[in-house]
Amino acid sequence: MVGQVVISGLLAGALYAMVALGLGLIFGVMRVLNVAHGPLLMLGAYTTFWLFHWFGLNPYLSLLVSMPALFVVGVVLQRLLVRRVVDAPELSSLLLLFGVGIALVNVTQLAFTSDLRSVEYLTGSFVWGPFAFSKSRVIACAFAIVITAGAFWFLQKTRLGKALRAVSQSREVAQVCGVNVQRIHMLAFGFASALAAAGGSLVAVMVAIQPEMGQVYTFKSFLVIVLGGAGNYPGALVGGLLLGLVEQLSSLFLTTQVNEAVAYVLLVLVLLVRPTGLFKGRAS
Amino acid sequence: MTTFLWRVAATAAFVAILAPIPVHAQAPIKVGASLSLTGTYAQPGSYQKEGYELCADHVNAKGGLLGRKIEFVFYDDQSMPATGVRLYEKLITEDKVDAVMGPYSSPITEAVANVSEKYQKVMVSPLAATTSIFKKGRKYIFMVISPAEAYLDGLVDMAAKRGLKTIAVINEDTLFTKASAVGVAEIAKKKGMQVVFQEAYPKGNTDFSALLTKLKAANPDVIAASTYFDDAVAITRQMKELNVNAKMYGVTVGGDLPKFYELLKQNAEYVYGATQWEGNLPYPGQKEFVDSYQKKFGHEPVYHSAAGYAGCVIYGEAVKRAGTLDSDKVRDQLLKLETRTFFGDYKVDGDGFQVAHKMVMFQWQDGKKVTVWPDDLANGKPRYPTPGWSQR
Repeated sequence: MVGQVVISGLLAGALYAMVALGLGLIFGVMRVLNVAHGPLLMLGAYTTFWLFHWFGLNPYLSLLVSMPALFVVGVVLQRLLVRRVVDAPELSSLLLLFGVGIALVNVTQLAFTSDLRSVEYLTGSFVWGPFAFSKSRVIACAFAIVITAGAFWFLQKTRLGKALRAVSQSREVAQVCGVNVQRIHMLAFGFASALAAAGGSLVAVMVAIQPEMGQVYTFKSFLVIVLGGAGNYPGALVGGLLLGLVEQLSSLFLTTQVNEAVAYVLLVLVLLVRPTGLFKGRAS
Repeated sequence: MTTFLWRVAATAAFVAILAPIPVHAQAPIKVGASLSLTGTYAQPGSYQKEGYELCADHVNAKGGLLGRKIEFVFYDDQSMPATGVRLYEKLITEDKVDAVMGPYSSPITEAVANVSEKYQKVMVSPLAATTSIFKKGRKYIFMVISPAEAYLDGLVDMAAKRGLKTIAVINEDTLFTKASAVGVAEIAKKKGMQVVFQEAYPKGNTDFSALLTKLKAANPDVIAASTYFDDAVAITRQMKELNVNAKMYGVTVGGDLPKFYELLKQNAEYVYGATQWEGNLPYPGQKEFVDSYQKKFGHEPVYHSAAGYAGCVIYGEAVKRAGTLDSDKVRDQLLKLETRTFFGDYKVDGDGFQVAHKMVMFQWQDGKKVTVWPDDLANGKPRYPTPGWSQR
C-alpha cells in the first residue's frame, strides 16, 4: 500500500515540479509572485480540450500548440501590464496579477460556461504486480521530466539561459554586462507561461476541466518554490516531488481531509526554520 | 350645475362599466426563489430553475392560481449559503414577494430556512434532502424528495440479496453527503453487512489516489460513494487508474446527470446511481411533463427539474385547497395533503418531513439509465457482477 502511494506521490510530484519551475522562474528573474500562474495553466488545459474536441488532435501533440500559444500570452501580459509593476512595491504586482487571474477565470467562464469538460483519451492503468500505474499520469510524469530537463539544459547551457540566470542573480550587474533586462523579463514570463500551459495540457487528460481548476496549482507551485528555495531552480524539482509525497502519505496515514493542512504546516515550518528553503535559495 | 351633475353621473357610469376589468387583471402572484446558477451547484441548480419556470407556464395556461397569474422572481446565490440568506431577505422585505420556493441543495436550504421561518413564509423545498433541516422544530418548511439517508438503500438491498458481505463508504464532508454516508452505513449494518472502510474527503478535493489505495486494500464487495457531481466523475476515473474493482459501485448525486456519461463514456457503464425520479417511471402525467419540458428547453429533464416542478405544483395545490395565500392556512393544507403526481408520492409528517416518496436505483447500461430497483418500478435487470476494468 505504501508502495502504491509513493508511486502516486512521485507521479504527481513531477508535474508539480514542472509547473512550479515556471512560477520560480518569474519570481527569480522579476521578484514578482505570479498568482495568475494557475489560470494560465487552465488556459493550457482548455487549448488541449478544444483541439481534441474539434479536430481530434492527440492531447500530447497539443503541447506543441498550447506551449507556444501561452508563451505569446505570457509575453503580451508582461509587455502590457507586468512590466509596469516590476519595480513597484510587492503589493502592486500581487494585486495586478490577482486581477489578471480573476479576469482570466471569469472570461473563460463567460466564453465556455462552467460546465465540466474532459479529454477522454487515455484512461486506466498499467498493472505491474500489486501496483497500478495510471497511464495518463505516467505519461504526464514522463513529459514533465523531459520538459523540466529541457528547461534546466536551457538555463545551464544556452547564452539566453545564462542571461536569465544572471538577471535573477543580480539585475544591475547583468545590465552592466550588456544583458537586455527588459527582453529577459519578457522572455521569462513567456517561458513560465509555456510551462504552465504544458502542465495544463497534461492535467487535461487526468482530471475534469473547468474555469476554476487552476487556482489550486498556484498554491501548490508556491509551496514547491518555498520548499525548494525561491530562486533555486533545481530546488523546485526536489520541492515538487516532496510535495507530491507529503500529500499522498498524509492521506494514507492520516485522512484525505488533512493532507492540504499537512502541506501548509510543512510550509510554515520551513519558513520558520529554514527561510531560504530546504536547499538554500538565493540569499535576499 | 346640471352639466356638472351630468358629468359626474356619466363618469360614475363609465367607472361602473370598467370596474369588472381590473378584477380580472389582478396583479400576478410573485413567487421568489434564489438558485445556484453559477459555482459548484450550477448544474443541478439550473435544472431546478427550469422546473419552476415550466410549472409557472402550465399553471398560468390553466388560468393561474386563485385567478391570478404566477410570476417567478429568480436570483443566483452562486452556490453559497450566505448569499442565499441575503437574497431571501431581499425577496421577502424589498421585493415583497407573495410566496417563496426553496433553493437548491441542503447546505443552502439549511441557511435560508432561518429567513423563511423568521417572516413566517411557507417554503416548499423540493431539493433539500437532509433530515436534520426538517427536524429542528421549524414550522413552515416542507420536504418533497426522499431523505439523504435513503439514497443508497437500493444499492445495499441489492447487494445483501446477492449475499455480498463487505462495503466501503466514502463521502464529501458536507451536510447532505455526510448524512447519506451515515445512512448507507447504518442500513448496511442492519442487513448484516460489514463496513470495512469509511472515510470523508473535503469539498473540492481532486486527487483521490491515497484514499482509493486504502479502500482497495480493504477489498470491499461494494463501494458506496456519497458524492455530488465533480467528485463522482473524478472518483470513477481514478478507480480505473488505480484498478480498484468491486462487485457493485454506486454514487448518490451526479451519477444520474447525462453529463456523467458524456464525460466518462464507457467508463460509466455498470455504475449504479441513486435518483429521486426518472422520466420512464410508471407515474401519472409522466409523458406530458417530459414532452413539454423537452419542447420548452430542448433537452431532457433530470430529477432536479422534476422535483422543482413537482414542488411548485404541490404548493399550488395547497394554495388552491386553502383558497388563500395565508401562510398558516396553506401550511395546514400541506400537512394534510396526500397525493401522487408524476414525481411520485407526497405525504409529510407533522414536521413537514417527507415520508411517502420513493428513491429508485438505476444502472448505466449501454449509455442508458436502466431502472433496476425497487422491483415494482424497475424496467430492467442489473448487470451483475461488475467486471474488472480491463474487461469493460
